Amino acid sequence: MIRGGRSYVTSPPSFSNDAKKLLVCTGNTVSVFSAATGLQITSLEGHTALVTTLIVVPASTPAQKILCYCWTASLDGTIRHWDFSGPELLKTIDAQLPIYSMVIPSLLSEPQQIDKRRELSGKLVAFVSVEDISVVNEGSKELRGHIRRFNLAKPRVPRGDTLKETAEPESIVISPSGEFFGIRHKCKIHIWDIPSGGSRHAVSRKMTLHHTKVINAFAFHPTERVIAAGDVTGRVLIWRGFGNRKLALGNQKKKVRATVDLDNAGVRGEDDTESCTTWHWHSAEVNVLNFSSDGAYLYSGGREGVLVVWQLDTGKKKFLPRIGSPLLYFMWSPDPTLSSVVCADNQIHLLKMPSMEILRTISGIKAPPSLPRMYEGLASTVAFDRSSGIAALCTENYCVQLYNLLNDRGISEIQVCERNHQPGDEITVVVTAVALSLDGSVMSTTEVKLPEDGIGGLVSLKFWVSEPDSKTFTLSTIVYEPHRDAGVSAIAFHPTRSMAVSTSFGGDFKIWVCNSDKNQTDKDSSWICHAVGSYKKKPMTAAAFSGDGTVLAVAAENVITLWNPDKNILLSVLGATLTPITKLCFAGKSEFLVAASHFPRPELSVWNTSKLSISWSYGLRVEAVTSAVDSSAFAVLAVIPKSFKTDKSKENIFRGRDGAILLFNGSDPKPVSIWTVIKAKGGSISFLGDKSQLRLAYVNGSREYVVFDPNSDESHERSAVDYDGLAGLEETGDAGYTSLYGQLPDYDKKRMEDVDSLATPFISSERPWETIFSGSTLNFPPLQKLCAEFFESLMEKRTAVVE
Amino acid sequence: MEEELRVRLNDHQVSKVFPVKPKSTAKPVSKSETPESRYWSSFKNHSIPDLVSSVSALAFSPVHPHSLAVAHSATVSLFSSHSLSSSRRFSFRDVVSSVCFRSDGALFAACDLSGVVQVFDIKERMALRTLRSHSAPARFVKYPFQDKLHLVSAGDDGVVKYWDVAGATVISDLLGHKDYVRCGDCSPVNDSMLVTGSYDHTVKLWDTRVDKSKWIAEINHGLPVEDVVYLPSGGMIATAGGNTVKVWDLIGGGKMVCSMESHNKTVTSLCVGRMESAETRLVSVALDGYMKVFDYGRAKVTFSMRFPAPLMSLGLSPDGSTRVIGGSNGMVFAGKKKLRDVVGEKKSLSLWSVRSQVDETRRRALRPTYFRYFQRGQSEKPSEEDFLVKEKKGLKLTRHDKLLKKFRHKEALVSVLEEKKPANVVAVMEELVARRKLMKCVSNMEEGELGMLLGFLQRYCTVQRYSGLLMGLTKKVLETRAEDIKGKNEFTGLLRNLKREVNQEIRIQQSLLEIQGVIAPLMRIAGRS
Repeated sequence: MIRGGRSYVTSPPSFSNDAKKLLVCTGNTVSVFSAATGLQITSLEGHTALVTTLIVVPASTPAQKILCYCWTASLDGTIRHWDFSGPELLKTIDAQLPIYSMVIPSLLSEPQQIDKRRELSGKLVAFVSVEDISVVNEGSKELRGHIRRFNLAKPRVPRGDTLKETAEPESIVISPSGEFFGIRHKCKIHIWDIPSGGSRHAVSRKMTLHHTKVINAFAFHPTERVIAAGDVTGRVLIWRGFGNRKLALGNQKKKVRATVDLDNAGVRGEDDTESCTTWHWHSAEVNVLNFSSDGAYLYSGGREGVLVVWQLDTGKKKFLPRIGSPLLYFMWSPDPTLSSVVCADNQIHLLKMPSMEILRTISGIKAPPSLPRMYEGLASTVAFDRSSGIAALCTENYCVQLYNLLNDRGISEIQVCERNHQPGDEITVVVTAVALSLDGSVMSTTEVKLPEDGIGGLVSLKFWVSEPDSKTFTLSTIVYEPHRDAGVSAIAFHPTRSMAVSTSFGGDFKIWVCNSDKNQTDKDSSWICHAVGSYKKKPMTAAAFSGDGTVLAVAAENVITLWNPDKNILLSVLGATLTPITKLCFAGKSEFLVAASHFPRPELSVWNTSKLSISWSYGLRVEAVTSAVDSSAFAVLAVIPKSFKTDKSKENIFRGRDGAILLFNGSDPKPVSIWTVIKAKGGSISFLGDKSQLRLAYVNGSREYVVFDPNSDESHERSAVDYDGLAGLEETGDAGYTSLYGQLPDYDKKRMEDVDSLATPFISSERPWETIFSGSTLNFPPLQKLCAEFFESLMEKRTAVVE
Repeated sequence: MEEELRVRLNDHQVSKVFPVKPKSTAKPVSKSETPESRYWSSFKNHSIPDLVSSVSALAFSPVHPHSLAVAHSATVSLFSSHSLSSSRRFSFRDVVSSVCFRSDGALFAACDLSGVVQVFDIKERMALRTLRSHSAPARFVKYPFQDKLHLVSAGDDGVVKYWDVAGATVISDLLGHKDYVRCGDCSPVNDSMLVTGSYDHTVKLWDTRVDKSKWIAEINHGLPVEDVVYLPSGGMIATAGGNTVKVWDLIGGGKMVCSMESHNKTVTSLCVGRMESAETRLVSVALDGYMKVFDYGRAKVTFSMRFPAPLMSLGLSPDGSTRVIGGSNGMVFAGKKKLRDVVGEKKSLSLWSVRSQVDETRRRALRPTYFRYFQRGQSEKPSEEDFLVKEKKGLKLTRHDKLLKKFRHKEALVSVLEEKKPANVVAVMEELVARRKLMKCVSNMEEGELGMLLGFLQRYCTVQRYSGLLMGLTKKVLETRAEDIKGKNEFTGLLRNLKREVNQEIRIQQSLLEIQGVIAPLMRIAGRS
């Protein structure tokens, strides 16, 4: 089982001390990438929930640069200490509360002293932002976010002393010198100083800076008392000399600390600062603020995707424009020529520093594009190359991203539409569909240019051919307005020949052939229209070729028409379903045809094309259908209706999961296996590989994926590079079965718990009902019966139509 | 290798500049450019003033500079083939039907419809000899290939005459044709062999050495023969009659080798053309206005070109640089190829060789030990072993691209409207639609610019490729700028034209619909059967 496609951008990454490695929080693990190649080296595994904070222990002397220690904090309530060269887990501290952010000031201030002191007094103070889960009610006005102080040197921290309570857990920002830390809270910034010296009970002093707008990000100057803050309107505020009164050094002031001053919510001018200046360049909110390590420059960035470098003394600007996605974090490295910027589209760019060129990019799967209304549910923005395990995914910036699912790595991006994407702009051009031929050599895309005031709309269909050496595609043919002004609803490729079909809402379908068949020149092959067909002028919504390519099935609203693709002859018409069909798929090489429709009444039906009759149907809303090439097995991704999820008795079956993958075999209406999944809406499934090693790939709505063997009973086998994760998002689903069929045998429970720590989200990997019921057949009904019953409990079954 | 792979993996740029490009147009499925068609279409058109009446015959001098004789009405005009300007005119008593140069190019013979054959020196006005014997209009006169002393002529009396030019006497009358003799050719390998074609559907092969005035061979073309020509080997002839051209093998006993029937009307003239690769092609012209190039080796028409008049005569200069076609309305379609000046090339070659020697000596001298090595300038050519660092080619942006980059949308639209390239204008408009700025641009336009836009819309809104966008835009422009357009004198003409264009388009669409209505049932029936 292979998992991947996790987000690289949930929390800021961090460079190692020699700047050769980049540590990135990826779900439940921390991945270590090489800065020189951009490829993954290793990963730190152990957390059972999202890792939120990552602190690399900085080196103070050149000799220490080879040290590779880091601290991580996670939502599972633990703080862990790692040696990431190993990788090896050194220490685990259980904080018992989900940690959203953590800073360890003493690491920054005087590391050598700290080492000594840690040894002496066993004191390593961390400030953490936790969520108080004892306050459960959502609507209550309880303050759930707490800022607390922990001593990491002690093996177990029962409860740190609370410094501040906020409505939501906030992230803590620490100054590079380690003297101050602070949080932003709406229009305010709360700053504490960190008591230096050995006094154990020294209390941090606090001050507040005010602004009239909600503050999005702020940063401390590395050496001086300067704070920069960015707000939602795009302004950058610089406070100089903050805290001279309240946080001034010296012992006598400590006593004078006046609580009255702290709470006078006032305007900016009355804050405890010498001066406040405002810079305004950003047009939208500022997300990124960071001072350079010498304090001469300030880096800022935001939603418009431009990294701005401000010279702090003069206010002069330099830009790195056209990054193409909102910026999330900016990190500089110990190596002054290298830094990284993290974008919202799941990309980490490594920058060559003074010139700000992008050296290389660590790329995760990009987010799906937002589609216009009429394409919702119809667009297929994910396509799979079955032989090589490559997925082609449409992205927001008018590209198709090729991503290798088997080794979790981005391959390339193909610019489908020659436009630059600017985040925040109105969407006017959308890539609506992508399809790959069975051998992966031809790709087809459709794009829609939305009209302005009813003029200038354009639909175009493009065919791309793959270049054999590098895994990218070059444009072969553009067809403007393939179905006049009607949109393209589906594209399907012939399984063996270079032939494709495109269907349109305008009531016709076109068969395209590649004319390189004739003159054998591969270079100037182009796709031309071979035939046009229509059925009673009904909108055509889906198309599929049969396994051997002799029959083309096209759905004309609610009937299925079967055609001979070569001669363009209508062979027969299959009886009407109740609702328009959105997906069609032949079940492998068999004569069964799977049709799915979901508006207004969802339905999944299987037709026998030799008898021209319906075999069976379910009232299921189906998001995706796929079939194996050689066998008659097919799998559907079904969205579980809301009424089922809210139903009390079934609530614990699904546990927040909203979809199920059902594996069927041929005409048998009883599914062979069922797996429940999360984020099924907008998801996609496909079989990969051939008969010898058949695997099923599932990409969910937020483009995380899993590849697994649908037929194996083994608990999951792991690939060379280990990719698990997501366990925080997906939980094991066996509880549903215990609730339905009573207590499980003990031995199994134990095993489940073992595996639980290893994070197994899918019941597929366990298939408990087979192991559970195999031993004691006397007590339990046979498997088929159980399965059918269970399945019927999920959905209402329709009686088959008999002709 | 690994390094290279790595570079490529991470090479992708985050974001690029995409200049606005017009939509690509459909390419024809078959290749339009074959070397053959490139050769035949590379004759550059030269204008020759109209010659009033039908051009009945054309002839090129066989020697350099290949001057051209054009027979039209009762005149033969000599043109220099270099500049294609008229240099001399010779007048006749009747309409000239045929003209032919002697092998040395010093004399030419011509016959007219009064039956007289005349021989002229190209440098003198008066005829050297006047040969009178034909009792009916003479139609064809020809010098044998190398023979300077004899002539062949024939005419509507059906008699082929073999003349002694010096004595102006008929050596032999070749009798046999039963109808008008309209054409003939002399063998390129033997001075005494000739063929004649007649309206009695036959082509006859004669040998002047045989005294008995009996033809050696006869070929039946099947239609009145308009022209006959020897192919360069001397063993084959091509005949034109009706709308077919046939190639015959004389040595093989008069068998037909191939025939070409791609003309729609009577083929009037044939000529053998030589291509650059020394291959020969048969070129024919016909009354349907087409010139066709026939590759008789492969029996395939390789090039076809349409002229706006029925074509009467054809001439190709022996060096292949000039192609002249005479039309029935007196137009002469002359085409000249740019010939490389061989002599000049030779001269420059010798110059080059001298200089390259000089260069070589200098290059040999340039070593890092010499001072001059360090004074090499920017223009210094790289030597073979130098490693070249290629500079990245910058993207060339046009004016409207630069303006679009600066978000000066209206100025970009105006600047591209000034360029008068409709495809670019439409591309910029589409880009503006994608930016949601087109209507704003229209509403911001000044009066002059609006006039320019309306002018563009009037010209192109009914063009099929652009109409999808421009029709809608025209409507919007007229709606949004109604009060600016109304009552302005400079716009009334534009609006009137626009209205007319739209009305015309509507009429065309209606008639097309009618045709479709007629065709659709026929197609239905055809599909069913």
